[in-house]
Amino acid sequence: MVLPISNSVLSRVLACLAVALLLAPTLSAQAPLQRFHQSHPAMGTIWTIDLYAPDQPTAEQQLTAAFDEIDRIEDLLSNYKPTSELSRISRDAGQAPTVTDPETFAFLQRSLYWSRVSHGAFDISVGPLLRAWGFIFHQGHVPAQAELDALQPTIGWQHIQLDPAARTVFFTHHHAMELDPGSIGKGFAVDSVVALLRAQGVTSAFISAGGSTFYAIGTIPGKSGWPAEVPDPLHHGQVAATLQLRDTSMSTGACTQKFFLYQGHRYCHIFDPIAMRPVEGVLQSTVIDPSATDSDALSTIVFVLPAAATRRLLHTMPQVQSLVFRQPTAGASEPCSAVNWSGNPCASSALETPGAHTP
Amino acid sequence: MMDRRSFMHGLSAAAIAISANAQSLTGADAEAARQIAPSHDATPLRLGIIGPGSRGKELARSFLRVPGVRITAAADVYAPRFAELNQVCGYEVASHADYRALLDRKDVDAVIVATPLGLHGEQVLAALQAEKHVYGEKTMAFTLDQSAKIVQAATATPRIFQVGHQYRYSPWIRAALARVHQGEIGDVTHIIGYWHRNNSWRRPVPQPSLERLINWRLYNQWSLGLLAELGSHHMDIANWTFGATPTAALASGSICTYHDGRETDDNVQAVLSYPGGKRFIFSSVTDNSQLGDQLWLYGTKGSLNLTLQDATFYYEPRQVTRVDPNHNGAAVTSASYQASGEMPYRGPGHSVEVTTAEDPTTAATRAFIYCCRTGTHPIADVHVGYGSALCVIQSNQARLDRREVAVPPAL
Ligand SMILES: NC(=O)c1ccc[n+]([C@@H]2O[C@H](COP(=O)([O-])OP(=O)(O)OC[C@H]3O[C@@H](n4cnc5c(N)ncnc54)[C@H](O)[C@@H]3O)[C@@H](O)[C@H]2O)c1
Repeated sequence: MVLPISNSVLSRVLACLAVALLLAPTLSAQAPLQRFHQSHPAMGTIWTIDLYAPDQPTAEQQLTAAFDEIDRIEDLLSNYKPTSELSRISRDAGQAPTVTDPETFAFLQRSLYWSRVSHGAFDISVGPLLRAWGFIFHQGHVPAQAELDALQPTIGWQHIQLDPAARTVFFTHHHAMELDPGSIGKGFAVDSVVALLRAQGVTSAFISAGGSTFYAIGTIPGKSGWPAEVPDPLHHGQVAATLQLRDTSMSTGACTQKFFLYQGHRYCHIFDPIAMRPVEGVLQSTVIDPSATDSDALSTIVFVLPAAATRRLLHTMPQVQSLVFRQPTAGASEPCSAVNWSGNPCASSALETPGAHTP
Repeated sequence: MMDRRSFMHGLSAAAIAISANAQSLTGADAEAARQIAPSHDATPLRLGIIGPGSRGKELARSFLRVPGVRITAAADVYAPRFAELNQVCGYEVASHADYRALLDRKDVDAVIVATPLGLHGEQVLAALQAEKHVYGEKTMAFTLDQSAKIVQAATATPRIFQVGHQYRYSPWIRAALARVHQGEIGDVTHIIGYWHRNNSWRRPVPQPSLERLINWRLYNQWSLGLLAELGSHHMDIANWTFGATPTAALASGSICTYHDGRETDDNVQAVLSYPGGKRFIFSSVTDNSQLGDQLWLYGTKGSLNLTLQDATFYYEPRQVTRVDPNHNGAAVTSASYQASGEMPYRGPGHSVEVTTAEDPTTAATRAFIYCCRTGTHPIADVHVGYGSALCVIQSNQARLDRREVAVPPAL
């Protein structure tokens, strides 16, 4: 006798079979995950990725795809490449509204969002400023006020007009601009790579964009995260915080690598766009946020803004953890200020700097 | 081509330069400048993509930089591509498992064919038959027969057919070749193209049954290997430089490093013979990236190096100079031996300066839309596509036969 099988039973059986077939290679493989590491120059720095994969060929394919993606974003956003989409916009959008692709448009939207909420502490239009101060060609130069005044009409995020319906960018002052992705582009690329690696089934990886932006996918197998340290710039060789990052990003801004000295004064590559000058007296900023794009932008914002303004801004963003060190001599009331930070990273600074307080 | 300083300087001058360039150029270069000039025409143009894989998505990004363009439909046999394409577009694109359903749509004006090479012929022909404009990825087709049919179909229709040889739109390559054609490096007799990489050319495969779909480049069913995937661009530039297609092809290849079940070679070498004894030599390896992707054009008076980002001229030391016949200084004997005469030149070159060094694909896609809207004949037309298909297909035949193969004339 033939038993009738209902359609739904049949489809369930078939579905189970399909699932079994799908899982078969993974189950039979079941090799313990091994750790692989590769580095790659991009965006003016050295990127590294550590990831866990079942075997070397798989790791190589995943890493090749990841670094290809980083190169793709560099080709999209680099202000050093005249062929990039951002350079095309810089050239053309002063003439007429310029249509761009959704990815570049989203990048610009996020950049302008951070300009708006930071009241201009973050601004990707500072390219000419960096050049006037000699940061583009690494020669260092203190410009005269007249030089800066002459630049003023050409820069400023408020001249960048985005029309989401038409997906156009327009520079309302009819000038070409020099959009500089330096303080958000690496984070943007990190987020793209994270999405790509996750789509490939990677569950454990650590991406570093030249040490300034990290992202941890999952944890090191059997551990609670991927370890990361925040150095304490007030106490050479000491660590302010040790963290286990997991499915989140951490970005750091510091004046320890990119700066120039002139008449004994240290000029930092992080700019206060409103003052049109390098930020003074800040040593290091670190921000943790699930989005690397945002942590990258925010690490500049909290570097530029005074401590009180940072606190006001981050008041409504409980997921953002921020830690900033300032030079104690610069009249700063807070050589170490932490907002939403878990733990007490300012403990040592507070002990040694009478009058300083931590939240 | 351009250092950072001159690039930054060029930014503000760029717009002026475009119109100035368009006026001072002649013929093909002026036409190219017109086709790639910034577009402000936002007349709606609706695109369908067959095969929104890695290249298809990149093309989608580029096309979405052109005013008025919307991607309305996609066809693919691998369903996850649809979500990926939606992500690129920022909206939902109608999806079809069968490309013929896409061709039936009335809301598709132009079709991008970005599927594996083995499928180009059938899909391009069907799209032209359905009276769509077509942007067909290189290599134009898998066989000479299909390629000839595409030439026939494209010349018979008022629709536009443009092939994905985007370097025809690269500002620095155009500027450099214009100078070569004016005789700047004498008579170019040899071109050597290298495309050297150091990776397995394999893509991650979510499940083994998808191996041949995702890693199609590694299997003979749809792929002509490195000669097609990398060589076709260089062969197109050789055809362009020599102003001809080759008459014969020699080639070889092997699987040297990646013994992983692939069918296509992991290294290939080809020699194409052009009229007048001229030669194009192509080399591709996948286990050493020192040389990267570059072309060298060798002429009697100098050399030109072309890369993905720039163009650089080098000049031969003067060989014969005219001397004043009244100058009768006595010769002095010596016995010196100058080894440096045969050493490679290691000094700097003279880079080609262009004010708008735009991404070639962005320029090519904008030019395609311009042609669709205005009915203008494209730069990378079906004959360009046929020329490079001839090179690829016949050099692959030579590789298989291990002998020199004749290359039929251009169409
Ligand atoms: N011009 C260039 O510089 C350039 C660069 C890269 C690739 N390409 C060309 O683009 C083409 C695609 O290459 P790719 O790297 O994107 O490959 P890919 O495998 O990433 O994409 C091909 C897509 O076609 C789909 N497909 C397969 N069979 C199909 C069918 N019958 N109907 C519809 N879709 C089908 C696949 O599922 C896939 O999504 C190739 O011809 C390649 O040579 C050109």
